[in-house]
Amino acid sequence: MEMSRRSVPYTPVFKPLNEMKFSLVTTAGVRLSSQEPYNDEGDERFYVIPGDVNVADLTVNYASPANYDFSDSLKDINVVFPIERLRELKEAGVIGGIANKHIGLMGYTMRLKKIYEETVPAIARELERSNTDGVILTAG
Amino acid sequence: MAIQRAIEMSGVPTVLITVSAEESAQMRPPRAIEPEGFQVGNSLGRPGQVELQRQVLQASVEYLNKLVMPGQVTTISFPGY
Repeated sequence: MEMSRRSVPYTPVFKPLNEMKFSLVTTAGVRLSSQEPYNDEGDERFYVIPGDVNVADLTVNYASPANYDFSDSLKDINVVFPIERLRELKEAGVIGGIANKHIGLMGYTMRLKKIYEETVPAIARELERSNTDGVILTAG
Repeated sequence: MAIQRAIEMSGVPTVLITVSAEESAQMRPPRAIEPEGFQVGNSLGRPGQVELQRQVLQASVEYLNKLVMPGQVTTISFPGY
């Protein structure tokens, strides 16, 4: 049975924050510099970013038709992908740790059916198979 | 967003940090916060605003422990922006 759009899926937190490992998921076009750039006309792909990534190896590109100004994220990736802040919260004992998988995608495409039927479930499966206990999402 | 709902359906709790609250609310997010007045491209704050970025991230993490109405967006003020 399909969930109605009027319904809201809700998973309660099942352990203390300081025992939870967190993943970041962003649709702001973040990727590793070594990964192929997102297609400028739209792209359904997503990339896995490792939890121990060096922020100097991260970059952003985004479809120009979307007219999204991502220049601030090129100066400091933490404005949309706060991996260094997440590490600080771990050091401070607020959270338990950094999960091994994080997700970057652009999410801008005209092929909405492909995004909903393929990309979205694939991202959920990827995280389900990781060691993540909680996810923080940003859209840009 | 659809991704958030799918992750939540797979049994992992989530929090969305949104700078487009109206648009996000239409998708009925399981949990979402809106840092008040932040612009698109600045979900956590501006470049180099380390302390502010940490405050926003910590607020989003701690939001997991708040009793809130699913599907709604909570606006939070961060005066440092």
